[in-house]
Amino acid sequence: MNRFKLALRLLKRDAYSGELTLLGLALIIAVTSSTAISLFADRMHRTMNAQAAEFLAADLVVTSSDLLPEDWIEKAEQLGLEQARTVEFSTVLINKDDLLLASVKAVSTGYPLRGQLKTKEQIGGELEVVQQEGPKAGKVWVDRRVLSALTLAIGDSLTVGEKAFKISQIISYEPDKRGDVYSLSPRVMMSDVDLKATKILQPGSRVRYFFQFSGEADAINRFNEWVKPLLLPSQRLMDVHEDRPELGNALSRAERYLGLSSILVILIAGVAIAMSSRRYSERHFNSTAILRCLGCQQNDILLIFLYQFFILGLVACSLGLLFGWLTQEALFHLLRSLLPAKVSAPSFIAVMLGFMTGIAILVGFSLPPLLRLKRVSPLRVLRRELEPVNSSGWLVYGLAIALISGLIFQYTNDLKLMLSIMGGGLVAVVISSWLLYAILLKSKTLLPRVGLSWRLGLQGVLREPKASVAQVLAFSITLLAMLISFTVRNDLLADWQQQIPEEAPNYFAINIFPHQLESFEHELNQHGVPLATFHPVVRGRLVGINDVPVQQIVSKDSQGERATHRDLSLTWADELPQDNKTIAGQWEATGKDDVSIESKLADSLGVSLGDRLTFSIGSEQIDVSVTHIRSVQWDTMKPNFYMVISEKTLKDFPTTYITSFYLSEKNKKRLNALVKKFPTMSVLEVEAMLQQIKTILGQLTAAINYLLYFALLAGLTVLLASIYSTLDHRISEGALMRTLGANRELLRKAHLVEFSIIGLMSGLIAVLMFQLVLFGLYTYVLNLDFYFNVKLIILVPLFSAICIVVAGFWGVREVVNKPPMYVLRDV
Amino acid sequence: MDLAKSVDENNVNINSKKILIMSKTSRPIIETKSLGKKVSVADGDLSILSSVDLTINKGESIAIVGASGSGKSTLLGLLAGLDSPSEGIIKLDGVDLTALDEDGRADIRNKLVGFVFQSFQLMQRLSALENVMLPLELRGDQQAKKTATDLLNRVGLGHRLGHTPMKLSGGEQQRVALARAFVTQPAILFADEPTGNLDSKTGEQIIELLFELNQEKNTTLVLVTHDKVLASRCQRSVQIEAGQLV
Repeated sequence: MNRFKLALRLLKRDAYSGELTLLGLALIIAVTSSTAISLFADRMHRTMNAQAAEFLAADLVVTSSDLLPEDWIEKAEQLGLEQARTVEFSTVLINKDDLLLASVKAVSTGYPLRGQLKTKEQIGGELEVVQQEGPKAGKVWVDRRVLSALTLAIGDSLTVGEKAFKISQIISYEPDKRGDVYSLSPRVMMSDVDLKATKILQPGSRVRYFFQFSGEADAINRFNEWVKPLLLPSQRLMDVHEDRPELGNALSRAERYLGLSSILVILIAGVAIAMSSRRYSERHFNSTAILRCLGCQQNDILLIFLYQFFILGLVACSLGLLFGWLTQEALFHLLRSLLPAKVSAPSFIAVMLGFMTGIAILVGFSLPPLLRLKRVSPLRVLRRELEPVNSSGWLVYGLAIALISGLIFQYTNDLKLMLSIMGGGLVAVVISSWLLYAILLKSKTLLPRVGLSWRLGLQGVLREPKASVAQVLAFSITLLAMLISFTVRNDLLADWQQQIPEEAPNYFAINIFPHQLESFEHELNQHGVPLATFHPVVRGRLVGINDVPVQQIVSKDSQGERATHRDLSLTWADELPQDNKTIAGQWEATGKDDVSIESKLADSLGVSLGDRLTFSIGSEQIDVSVTHIRSVQWDTMKPNFYMVISEKTLKDFPTTYITSFYLSEKNKKRLNALVKKFPTMSVLEVEAMLQQIKTILGQLTAAINYLLYFALLAGLTVLLASIYSTLDHRISEGALMRTLGANRELLRKAHLVEFSIIGLMSGLIAVLMFQLVLFGLYTYVLNLDFYFNVKLIILVPLFSAICIVVAGFWGVREVVNKPPMYVLRDV
Repeated sequence: MDLAKSVDENNVNINSKKILIMSKTSRPIIETKSLGKKVSVADGDLSILSSVDLTINKGESIAIVGASGSGKSTLLGLLAGLDSPSEGIIKLDGVDLTALDEDGRADIRNKLVGFVFQSFQLMQRLSALENVMLPLELRGDQQAKKTATDLLNRVGLGHRLGHTPMKLSGGEQQRVALARAFVTQPAILFADEPTGNLDSKTGEQIIELLFELNQEKNTTLVLVTHDKVLASRCQRSVQIEAGQLV
């Protein structure tokens, strides 16, 4: 008979009789969650990147001090990229007696390629207008500080260079406004068609061009690759991770979390599939023996079951794909208030990833039990107790280990890290197995000393110690995965909240002169701002390292290169900010000619302790030696510095001060008065930027919460699969016990003992492994602080025991309710 | 010494109980009236057993014979309180089983009834001794181990106390099952094709043992079989066909 037809018929029978329900369900849940996560993560990633792109107002930006070569522009056109250009320069604006240094931005049509401009038509007006493009010819939009500093109003005329413009809007939001506080003088935005008429730009003028590109990810990548080697020292590719570190960090952590979660869910689902296919296989020993008796060869058997699993996999994975799609659509629907109106479409790869993962889990976790069917002896028709030998340990675990290794590698992209995670994991599993096995064997001596219900419960665990160890480990791994997912999520959220506390500074004040310090501080106090920290700033440029000019040292497009192409803010401090951490050396505030350098910049410049750095400050040069290297958290919304130099070395140079402070909504109106009182000082509002970051973090938080629910759902399937895998045995044994006169209470007590033991042991092993994993994860992957959580040691085993007891009772309710007549039927 | 004494006392207790029971021999120990069992199938109810009126007296041995599917095992299950009937009444030692819930019936089974099954039905994870001890332990009997060991010695398995069913032959497993059935001194023993899974020689030995023990303990025996020879060893036979006694 055609094997495929036979396989199909057997599959149909199994499906009708409910044999496949659990396996199919486990697979569907696995594929549903992995598809939903893969689609959701992919779309979130794309949406977040699109939002991050909004911070650049494009997908890719090349900054240059000059126009780009024609062929670059042509290349971008060939690749179908959209383009826009902005030019930024500083100029002094004059209105009657008022002077103001402003940053002018001339924008081309198409700007912004990503994100939106927002404007208001009145100072302090509520109504915000979303603008699809920049000002029309002859019009300018300005920061409200321009109006207050120059006593102008909407509709007035403002002269920029030699051309007069009409002020038509107040800029309230500019997507690509950078956080580099020194470049942020109040903004005046105009159309670039008017640029020539201002006659400001002359050969040699200090000007910065921003060439913006957007389009398909693939085209952007190709352009990126193409343009990178051609960049001149004065040109640079902007990147959200580097140019907006406060967002970049949150993004990369969230990306890592999404990746981590999907691996964990897949791992948990894999455990569920392994358990249910084991049960499936065991329930088919008898029918396989009959087939073997009737002349089926071993390979025929394998083929028949492989066909069945292939069809089952195809159906379950397709259903999972559909449910996964619906689930992520539902998630986006739930999150619609948080997300931008247009959510990116998922990539085809992401769609297929869930499906392929499903097939891979099915093969990786269910092939070994299937192979066992091949070894069923035909003699089993006569002797039911004949069990086929297990597949070799290498095969059973090898496939699953290979699968998980592959996923971890894909996630970390780091072979060494993957090997150490897998190695560490395997060592932990082996040690725990041995430990558990020893404990189980030892506890057999307890049996004669305990009451009947305890004994029956214990015997349930001790009957097959190896199977119990496997079960406990399966639960441990599931719990471990859930614990990691849950804790990392909580710490990530706490970390983000800490990053942007409720009253995070929303204003920066720069260019405060020493003689203004006292009165400015007094003014701030009057406005309800508590004592702010003022940091001295001396502008200087790094020109040499160990007497070698820096241009010869730094590599192109590196952080070091950028740091040497502009003036740096040098400061001194009695104490370094709290979030700065010493990497090497020691900082003595009282020293002379010492410098403390930020660690990443030091790496990029190839600078280590003892090196000598030369700075040019005004017309003078100073030499300082590196005595301290420190890490800096750039995402704290507080002033931070690459270089901290001895006070004795810097204090005689012209110094200004910088501070950041929080102004509540009601105090904002007084800001104009403050600005007027200190005309040389610049106050920068970062409120909009803060809001934007908060929104993104909020979205990430929501996404991460949903991913956690998937982990929980997958964990639930493991519980069910595990209970069902021993259900047949329990039902017949329970019926027999009741035939002999045991009441339901006794059976329940025995179950309680058995499930509690399994739950407690699983919880304990999980929590111990968890502390180990967390240590590694926090220290090497997520860069968060590790701490040992004692409460968990008690809570996790308790939680695990409660879950397993509840699920177990629910699962085995048939055992205590099925009529004992069942025994006579010899099932 | 103490042990021997307590066993003696036990025997005395048992004997006095026996005397008490013996005095009631005239009284029926199993009684059914209009007993029926129906199961739901796709096109309505299917009657597997109907209008069974049966009275079995204390100490009697009775064979229920019939072809496969005639309803023998269903009747046995109902008589033993393993299942509840759709109609009619069953009384075991005067107690109406149909008025009891499952736990009540379990209690009656533990006090009055012993079982021997065709497929032995031993607990796979327990040793031979533990299997035999189990019904005693369910009663809270402190002497379970001693009593069970004695009985296993009696059925010739004293040397295999610690072995699990997997390590025993079919005949040995059925001996363990016999020991388990008799260990509580049940008033009634239900046996469902007890030799069905055994070769004829082993089967004969088991039947010998069953009847010996039955006589020793003066148990009422209800035996389900399709084997006419085996049935003829009982004092009485009832024939069942298509769910009805004939």
